[in-house]
Amino acid sequence: MVVMMRKLALAALFAVAMLPVSPSLAQQATEIHVTYSKGQFQPSQVSAPADKPITFRVKNLDAKAMEFESTSLRVEKVVAANSEGIINVRALKPGRYEFYDDFNAAARGALIVQ
Amino acid sequence: MQRMRDEMRLRIQPERFHAIALCAVASILCGSAAARAEDASSWRDIETKYIFGFTTGSGIGLEGEKEFTIDTIGRFGKRDGRYEATETKYEFEFTPSQFIQIEFGALGSNHDIRGVTGLDDRNQVAATGAFAELRYLAIERTSNNPLSVTLGIEPTVRLTDETSGMRVRNYEFETTVNADLELMKNRLFAGFNLLYEPEVTWTPTGDVQREATAGVSGALSLRIASNVVVGGEVWYLRHYDAADLSAFTGDAVMLGPTLFVRFTPKMFMTAAWNSQVWGREVGNSLPLNLAEFQRHRAKLKFAWEF
Repeated sequence: MVVMMRKLALAALFAVAMLPVSPSLAQQATEIHVTYSKGQFQPSQVSAPADKPITFRVKNLDAKAMEFESTSLRVEKVVAANSEGIINVRALKPGRYEFYDDFNAAARGALIVQ
Repeated sequence: MQRMRDEMRLRIQPERFHAIALCAVASILCGSAAARAEDASSWRDIETKYIFGFTTGSGIGLEGEKEFTIDTIGRFGKRDGRYEATETKYEFEFTPSQFIQIEFGALGSNHDIRGVTGLDDRNQVAATGAFAELRYLAIERTSNNPLSVTLGIEPTVRLTDETSGMRVRNYEFETTVNADLELMKNRLFAGFNLLYEPEVTWTPTGDVQREATAGVSGALSLRIASNVVVGGEVWYLRHYDAADLSAFTGDAVMLGPTLFVRFTPKMFMTAAWNSQVWGREVGNSLPLNLAEFQRHRAKLKFAWEF
């Protein structure tokens, strides 16, 4: 039984290792530039093509840190004051994906993938 | 005298549970009115993993997110006597990619058992064992696809038996399918789980016990405020004395309310209560299955993200 469970666990780990776990490196990523200033994203709506990985370059111009976060994009990153954060996102299906500053409920934006 | 008090407790408990269930239903009804009044379009998307109680949602967290949780499951009530057992997971959880979530941690348990047929009397607190979990997001939700599905495996090692509290060596390998549907944008969600949990136990006398639990669940959760979700769930569980599901010993239906509250952007709790509403044991005509399952179970989990 223990041997069988070990084999099952190894098979499952092997199967998972074969699955895609990160944005495809083979494809050129679409770069999206967003600035964060006075507690707002500029622009607050950005777009990108479907089925291609995306790289967000978030420049925080404010004097305090912000956290770029999105439940639907499944990413979060703290960007220190007056610095730039780079966030890699997998290739996405068409749709609307919201992002926000987790430290500031009023700061919100959206990515439109089409 | 103690036995009389225990019997009295068992008689009183169902009424208390009915009252709790009524309160939960009332809060759902009040909550749905409040939810209609509030504009859900201004709410952020919600992580679904913990909004369904014992039923696990498909969410796997955010890449780069780390979380510490204390997750306690209590099991209460057998056919006779007094039975209270809890198991607590002290868990570290992280999401290394946008498809995978990994969790691991230690287990602690508490058993308070008196006068239960087939179990030794016991009042103990113990460090129980350890576990790890790997979850893979197989189907992701988008604004055009409301369904999300995650596959999970969770090997666990225990040195204390979950039910009896006896010193044992127990290996469990839980496999799950966690699915959920967004029925109304940001507001109403349905969750579904499939469970297969084989285990093997070596007792102090050298006996080897093989068993398995299989189950399916359905849950409905309504977001009544941006940080509060209430709902209900139902579980159908089957128990076997063999890992290959060949020796059926009984089944049960558990039903109850669920609650999720996010206190701050980085801290939340989830709670659930399930009562056994139907069950049967092979070879026993008495109602409910209290040999393999319990009369009630409760879950209380607190999480801190960082």
